[in-house]
Amino acid sequence: MRRRFGLQKAGPRNSSDQRAELLLGALACVVLALIAGMIIFVFQKAWPSFSHNGLDWFNPFAGGNVDDQLTAIFESPGNPSQYVFTMHAWPLLYATALITICSVVIGVGFALLSAMFIVEFAPDALRRVLEPVVRLLAAVPSVIYGLIGILVLVPFVGNHIISQGAKDSVAGVVTLSGPSVGVGILILTVMITPIMIAIVVDALRAVPVGWREGSVSLGVNRWRAMWTVTVRAARPAIVAAAVLATARALGEAIMLSMVTGSVGFAPNPLDGIIYFVEPARPLAATIVDNSEGLSVPPFADTLYAFAAVLLVSAAFLSFGGWYIRRHLRRYTLSPI
Amino acid sequence: MSRKAARLLAVVAALSLFATVPAAAQAKKVITISGSTSVYPLEVLLARKWIKTKQGKKYGFRILQGGSNVGVSDVSKGRVSIGASSRDPASTDPGGLVFTKIAGDALCIITNNSNPLGNITKDTIQKIFLGPTFTNWTQVPGAPISGTIDPIGRAPTSGTHDSFRNIFLGGTNQGSFVAGKASNGLVQQGVQSDDHAIGYVSLAFTSGVHVVDYNGVACTLRNAQSFQYGGDRSFYFVTRGAPVGGVKKFLNWTTHSNKANKIVATDWIPLH
Repeated sequence: MRRRFGLQKAGPRNSSDQRAELLLGALACVVLALIAGMIIFVFQKAWPSFSHNGLDWFNPFAGGNVDDQLTAIFESPGNPSQYVFTMHAWPLLYATALITICSVVIGVGFALLSAMFIVEFAPDALRRVLEPVVRLLAAVPSVIYGLIGILVLVPFVGNHIISQGAKDSVAGVVTLSGPSVGVGILILTVMITPIMIAIVVDALRAVPVGWREGSVSLGVNRWRAMWTVTVRAARPAIVAAAVLATARALGEAIMLSMVTGSVGFAPNPLDGIIYFVEPARPLAATIVDNSEGLSVPPFADTLYAFAAVLLVSAAFLSFGGWYIRRHLRRYTLSPI
Repeated sequence: MSRKAARLLAVVAALSLFATVPAAAQAKKVITISGSTSVYPLEVLLARKWIKTKQGKKYGFRILQGGSNVGVSDVSKGRVSIGASSRDPASTDPGGLVFTKIAGDALCIITNNSNPLGNITKDTIQKIFLGPTFTNWTQVPGAPISGTIDPIGRAPTSGTHDSFRNIFLGGTNQGSFVAGKASNGLVQQGVQSDDHAIGYVSLAFTSGVHVVDYNGVACTLRNAQSFQYGGDRSFYFVTRGAPVGGVKKFLNWTTHSNKANKIVATDWIPLH
């Protein structure tokens, strides 16, 4: 630390500095140990589920109904040698990926444009209102969004958007009554966009004014200067914002458990427009819905397997984001 | 440095004094309960009343929720003195557990208020919730509306799911097209906001929705208490082996005294 900021050691070694250094170092080590312990614990618990199913755990064509499989695991006989572990989790993985990717893609677009507006184009009066509101929205607990979804959006979609013909066309296979991936994506987008806006606004502000002024003085209009200079320079921060938002979306459980339908169904793109009103259940929501079954050992192992997949995805996300940021930084002379 | 250490020691000593004194003053034996969320309101009322009696004065309670299966598993591992269960004993339960029935509860079939279905039979329920033989309300005898049926159920890990399966579905699991909600309240909310929905909940969760008669009998507390209603289930206190000591006294009081009976009768089906 001292060296990086160019501070010289002042006289004899300062004992309170030394103590602080040791204390903070110890704290950091505790955090690392906790994370390592957590990963080992989750994987050790999850292992039976993975080892019994092999690659079929992830295979889209492995077949079987995921809810029937969960019920069978839950009702396994008490004898450990007869435990049932069959789990083909594709519908849950698919639902997680679908909802996360859609909401992050929509959210990044919205966040970027809103941040540009706030930084460059908004009148001062509007900006003074907008910024605190965005920061407030970023801090709203997800269960509140879930309540709004279940009390307002889900009934609206069920009673006004889905036609009787659409319901009849899939009757007996899946129930279209409002809870759906569409509502999940919509609310998740609303949930993760404010935090992205807040980060991107800070990043755009951190780009030296001179760079943009330089391009404006060459005769470029404000929009072009913003888009080609400021946004370009802030790309690493935009990636960072997207990674943070994806992590939040990936782990969102309560809200999605409330609005996406609690059915382990894989929405079928061939169904046309009703694709987005079909129900599904992502991994995190499955853990919440079924946490009562933790007392049954093979069921607990299966839930830990879901958790392990989420952990690995989050890790990949961090590494991916780090790699992209490093890559971008090399070519953009970014100050961030 | 040494002065700071001394001050720290003094604070720690003072705190530990605070922590130990009340514990020493109480010296009560603690009975721990965990398990079903459906039984929770009842067990709290019972425990509160019992610790005011002569026998119960010496005891304290620590009551947790978690679901029927959590209760059964906790008590079998000796983590709690009593497990609360809203489902019957299962063949997969660990050996050596004793289920003591403490009360009865009713499972009601509910529909949206705009669909005041008069009566439903076991056969119709099975045709809706098992293989979907009935997918449209026009197929249901006496249904005042038409349109697709939206069945709403509970997750397979819940005690209510287990009771519904045993009472109404003849032991077969509901179809995988039925939504598996995480709580009674979510089923109630789902039925309330969807004209075409049908679901099942505990008697305590029937406000704001239409309660359907089952085999010609209304799902009410009175009908359940007189055992005319066919959809009743039992609440159990589960112990590892026969109950002993304070747990035995508490269970005896719960199952035999008039006071306990009166508490049960407020919202549930008493034993006598």
